[in-house]
Amino acid sequence: MLSREEVLNLASLARLKLGEDEVESLQKDISNILEYVGQVSTVSVKSEQGPTLLKNVMREDLPVGEAGAPAATLGTREDLLKAFPKQEKGYNVVRKIIQKDE
Amino acid sequence: MANLNQLTITEASKKLAAGEITSVQLTEACLAEIEKKNPSLNAYLEVFADALEQARLADERRALSLSKGLEISPLLGIPLAIKDNILIEGRTASAASKILENYVATYDATVIKKLKEAGAVFLGRTNMDEFALGGSTENSAYGPTKNPYDDSRVAGGTSGGSAAAVATHMALGALGSDTGGSVRNPASFCGVVGLKPTYGAVSRSGLIAAVSSFDQIGPITKTVEDAELIFNTIRGQDPLDSTSTENPKSEIRNPKKKIGVPRTLLEKGVEPDVLACFESSLEKLKGQGCEVVDIALPSLDYALSAYYIINFAEVSTNLSRFDGVRYGLSLKGESLFDDYASSREAGFGSETRRRIVLGTYVLSAGYYDAYYGKAVAAREQLRREYIKAFESVDFIATPTMPDAALVIGEKSDPLSLYLIDIFTVTANLTGNPAISIPMGTVEKEGKQLPVGLQLTAAHGDEAALFAAGKLLY
Repeated sequence: MLSREEVLNLASLARLKLGEDEVESLQKDISNILEYVGQVSTVSVKSEQGPTLLKNVMREDLPVGEAGAPAATLGTREDLLKAFPKQEKGYNVVRKIIQKDE
Repeated sequence: MANLNQLTITEASKKLAAGEITSVQLTEACLAEIEKKNPSLNAYLEVFADALEQARLADERRALSLSKGLEISPLLGIPLAIKDNILIEGRTASAASKILENYVATYDATVIKKLKEAGAVFLGRTNMDEFALGGSTENSAYGPTKNPYDDSRVAGGTSGGSAAAVATHMALGALGSDTGGSVRNPASFCGVVGLKPTYGAVSRSGLIAAVSSFDQIGPITKTVEDAELIFNTIRGQDPLDSTSTENPKSEIRNPKKKIGVPRTLLEKGVEPDVLACFESSLEKLKGQGCEVVDIALPSLDYALSAYYIINFAEVSTNLSRFDGVRYGLSLKGESLFDDYASSREAGFGSETRRRIVLGTYVLSAGYYDAYYGKAVAAREQLRREYIKAFESVDFIATPTMPDAALVIGEKSDPLSLYLIDIFTVTANLTGNPAISIPMGTVEKEGKQLPVGLQLTAAHGDEAALFAAGKLLY
């Protein structure tokens, strides 16, 4: 079973807060689920299979409106501003993260 | 003109074209049904106040197109339900999550743009498992959708609202999205048709991402013909989704008749009465001149494990964008870390949090190779087995689900709920198209519950699925 600390560390990496009961149930559930999906560790990767079937799709990085760029806009500036939790003078207000050296 | 909402899309489309009915009448009939049934079923999270206005515009457009001799889409004026993770400009799209409760879409998903061009009417947005994580719509932040055949049971998921709405004639058809069976599973549980198109056949621009390497948008309808109609309207390559591909409308070159059944997989955990329905639909197909053979797909043993590892990994990555900084629920804590963590604690439901933690685990240094690396290798192996299988058979058939709809709350242990996806996840791993078609009913506690047959075809061969589906339903 995963330890309490391991679960709390994962949650912190994922920027999640967990309730006390949740930590306990996650210790159990995660261990069960990992045990089941751990079956894949026995998959043997055959070397003769060659390269993956996936391929990359690239496109020119062009501003909207320019020839060859996707035609759509994904919303007006006003619409996007409206979605901000707090806005001021057309900017998104966020927490100050840079501190002056004392 | 009673019960117009009970028409199929194809039937309604003919009546609209003949001038026998109007879109306003059709939409009124659906809205009346919604008023009657939705309070108990919880299929719609919101019914759009302007649905009738949309219908009136569709009727006007028809008159104008007729007078000008313009081509008219068969979907003009057809009222549809849309899953709550597909963006419609100016309307809420919450993915049934608290974290997006106040989110208003700023643009149309490509599928919505196409449906608007065709003139479809949007009735409302339908309930789902939060962020399309689940298989029963029990993980919605707004309560589960009830099964139309037994309200103590689930509608399936994650597109449970869409399937229940179509099954009860609260819409003529619907859009869902399918990550590991999310269109086919509720279609099976609610007795309707659900298609998961080939990966890349339909653009996902404007679909709230769950697992980007699995997600596809697909139709949920009353008939196979209707599914074909919606699919042909929404398909096609889109510069806004670089995984979308051009696959010209496939034609049936020669009748597809050979059906492979992975017998060893069916030996494990399929309910006997579901298996009996499955065997009788195979007999029906044989009667139509199909040949049924056993096939071996050894990597299927790893399908569920590989599926869930990739699901957790991509979910934890995709959902990291919800941080309360730019949109959605935003709570303030004592620090920046606290802002993120508080917003995500209050905004995400328990299954979503569980998958984020699991995804963080399988992607962390030291475990990556054993879990994610192996899952990707198993997926590749399975895909090759499928490509090879389709050299000798035209379809792979299984039941869609190993059982009929579950009782609400029945599977409280998360792993046991994952295991019922055994037949549906494969098509998402391999990218093949798959359809669920009603194949009869089984009795549970005195109630007849529908179950579905799943047919999978070669990449890009939706046409074969529609042709075979029409033989059965």
